[in-house]
Amino acid sequence: MGAAVDKSSAPAVRSAPNAKLGKWLVVGPPLVYLLLFFAIPTLIMVLASFRTPGEFGGLAPLFDEAGKLDLNLESYTRFFTESVYAEVFLKSFWYALLTTLLCLALAYPLAALIAKSPKRHRNLLLLLVILPFWSNFLIRIYAWMIILGPQAVVARTVNALLATLGREPVSLLFSSFAVLICLVYVHLPFMVLPLYANLEKHDPTLLDAAQDLGADAWQRFWRITFPLSLPGVYAGAALVFIPAFGIFAIPDILGGPDDSLIGNVIKQQFLETRDWPFGSVLSIVLTVVALALAGFAAWVGRRSLGNPSSAKGADA
Amino acid sequence: MQRLVLLLAALATALAFPLSAGAAGKDEFHLYNWNNYLAPETVKRFEEFCKCTVVQTYYSDNEELLAKLSAGAKGYDMYVPTSNAVQALIKSGRLKPVDKAEVPNLKNIEPRYLNTSFDPGNKYSVPYAMSTTIIGYNEEKIKELGLPTDTWAVIFDPKYLEKVKGRVTVLDSANELFAAALKYLGYSANDVDPKHWDEAVAVIKKAKPYWAAFNASSYIKELTVGNIWLVHGYSNDIFQANLDAQAAGRKFRILQGMPKEGAVLAVDNMVIDKSAPRPDLAIKFMNFMLEGQNSAELTNLIGSGNPNMAAVKFIKPELLKNPAIFPDKAVAEKLEQLQDLTGAQRRLRNKLWTGIKAGR
Amino acid sequence: MRKRPVWLWIAAAAGYAFLYVPLVIVVVYSFNDSRLNAEWVGFTLDWYHKLFQNEEMLAAAGNSLVIALVASLASTLLGTMAGVAMYRYKLRLLPILVLTPIAIPEILMGVSLLIFFVLLNFTLGLVSVAIAHIAFCIGFVAIVVRSRLAGMDESLTEAARDLGATPWNAFRYVTLPLIMPGVIAGALMAFTLSIDDFVITFFTAGAGTVTLPLQIYSMIKIAVTPEVNAVSTLLMLLTLALIIIASRLSPNLFSAEEE
Repeated sequence: MGAAVDKSSAPAVRSAPNAKLGKWLVVGPPLVYLLLFFAIPTLIMVLASFRTPGEFGGLAPLFDEAGKLDLNLESYTRFFTESVYAEVFLKSFWYALLTTLLCLALAYPLAALIAKSPKRHRNLLLLLVILPFWSNFLIRIYAWMIILGPQAVVARTVNALLATLGREPVSLLFSSFAVLICLVYVHLPFMVLPLYANLEKHDPTLLDAAQDLGADAWQRFWRITFPLSLPGVYAGAALVFIPAFGIFAIPDILGGPDDSLIGNVIKQQFLETRDWPFGSVLSIVLTVVALALAGFAAWVGRRSLGNPSSAKGADA
Repeated sequence: MQRLVLLLAALATALAFPLSAGAAGKDEFHLYNWNNYLAPETVKRFEEFCKCTVVQTYYSDNEELLAKLSAGAKGYDMYVPTSNAVQALIKSGRLKPVDKAEVPNLKNIEPRYLNTSFDPGNKYSVPYAMSTTIIGYNEEKIKELGLPTDTWAVIFDPKYLEKVKGRVTVLDSANELFAAALKYLGYSANDVDPKHWDEAVAVIKKAKPYWAAFNASSYIKELTVGNIWLVHGYSNDIFQANLDAQAAGRKFRILQGMPKEGAVLAVDNMVIDKSAPRPDLAIKFMNFMLEGQNSAELTNLIGSGNPNMAAVKFIKPELLKNPAIFPDKAVAEKLEQLQDLTGAQRRLRNKLWTGIKAGR
Repeated sequence: MRKRPVWLWIAAAAGYAFLYVPLVIVVVYSFNDSRLNAEWVGFTLDWYHKLFQNEEMLAAAGNSLVIALVASLASTLLGTMAGVAMYRYKLRLLPILVLTPIAIPEILMGVSLLIFFVLLNFTLGLVSVAIAHIAFCIGFVAIVVRSRLAGMDESLTEAARDLGATPWNAFRYVTLPLIMPGVIAGALMAFTLSIDDFVITFFTAGAGTVTLPLQIYSMIKIAVTPEVNAVSTLLMLLTLALIIIASRLSPNLFSAEEE
């Protein structure tokens, strides 16, 4: 892509008013869009968390019969006093964490292979990663039910093995195992894509130089590639952990009796129980916790490894 | 790059036009219904009759319908909620009263399904179709194991459950499962005594380790394939499972078992939205569906129960003989429709339900 | 020229296998002579025939495609801007607004947008769904673009500026090509998210608007027939075709050329 830099245009001095305008041109549109179509609707629901549930569903009127503002902390108190909800949160946290780690392990080699492939193959390989996800979610999960079903190869092999060890047969379907596999499956591209976008930029000469200096494969990976890829790792981890934390469809379809996650509980508040304020409370707690964890992970990353962008620069 | 963006934009616009073209100006009847709950022949016949187009959108759960309506969704002419949802909708003022003069076919409905506590005098709703929540089972396997099929004990009692451990599913619905447990304990399905609820919770927790899953969506498939042998499920679904099993050439049949302790009856009703764009079409449809032949088509399609006396002569004989679809008087006495709970009761139930599912 | 180690090939192959085994089942079962998606019975093209007679399903698929195209275009544009902005400037509000839609449970977002549209008396339909999709896709694009920027060499852009380029030209001719793989990755994610979304679409769709996921989920209790497999297979192939056409039109679309 031959891109000529236009030497004859604007002066080299970056004038202050133009810089400000530039900033608002870039920040403005997404900011306005999200304020309008995300912040305001969400604030409506945040307000809802302080309101009383409507007797037949939805929310009770904002002003009660006497004309007074009907806001209270009942739903929040319920959350903090009934510990069962916190337990479900914890369970969801573990599932999401495990999913993220497994996705990372599975996605890294994929992303690395694609990034190192010849340019003309990369697009195709990347497309091949994401292609399955353009088919409908539900039937892909149904496909997993077939794969993990008691009459299919996988389950029969596993149970045969267990039988030789003298153990009871297990059901792969309707279990935490099935839920985890599907969680990983559904979130994998969201780890591959950011990792790829990062790894693709790595300069191979860095690794060559390290090799010439005597580093072996593991050292080259752990001390050069991995630290440089951290922004991609964090991006991927955020895009996997956060949605996985709140998911409900997978446990609904193939979870076992103990696999109810916080996403399922939130769904029940809006649907079966019709307690929107409490549903809002749970959602707010979920969102805050997820964002806090993401922020914490980013902070830890920045502290322990320094700013990754300072690690490059020797090459040109 | 610019060429690409322009192409995509053009493509999107080109696709959008034909899709939205049908919308403006035609006579459209917007029906928000359960999926597969209206026979295609009936739709065609109604469209000819009213000279209009039927536009169906679907929901798969009363609660989805209620949630969407509670948030203010508009544009539907008619929906088909179950009786307890009708109750909630009436109390929240969402429905348009029905002018009885325009639904003369109402006389076809069996009197015991009319004038219920859900809608006294049928001011807003008219019965459409029914189903029961019962036991479904794989005939071959259950006979082999010698298990009873006419009692809830087979779902709740460990002495039966041990023989089918991991091969049983129950519905993922607090209301349905509590109702079954309460019936098993000999109480009414609509019992709201917290002590009785605690007993029901104990029964459920004792049985839970033997169950494969709480499932409302894929259990029918698993039953048909033979991975699951015993379910707590909806009569229509179990009927369909048997049809599928026979079509797939399986050696076993899927049968329905009506528990002697009684079960939940769900009557779905046609109602008109207060701000319906075409209430005239809606009321035409209501009267149309109360005709025997039209009502029978659904029963013949999915094995749903039918409150319409005029439909009997159009219904397939084998369905008429099926006690789960057309229960005799003795059984019918034991069937109960679920009442809507108060807000406080719903919250308590959800707390208990979350506890059950959290594996405490 | 370094060889790629064997274990990398094996691990990547395992990854692809993991991704494709379920998909192969989906495609193969679209030819399955059985109403259920449960086991193989025999070969048939029936489901494809039924699909082409099923106007509702086809319309739903078309709607999904249109919404996904529009949503991914718009959210890629807005998301790239957001990603660049978050990287370049110290902002407090924008990062929160961008990240929260990813964290927030879909049900909450769906219900809140529905209430919002109703308050504004905005007619629900394809547009309301598209607006909702864009809102939650922006964050995904922004995160990927930002992380790509974080791994980028600043000196090139600085060099361009020193040589007299305006900020816009520096961005357009230097930065943008460099972050293009990130932008494309974000666009692909946005498209994927939009085409398969159920919960938010459920709440923001109008009385006659059906997208493919809505259609399919409503079938969930009566068993999802292989017609769904058929429409999914076709939609997937159609999307693939679109991408291939796109890359022919814009050969530099997917590559980041900086040499």
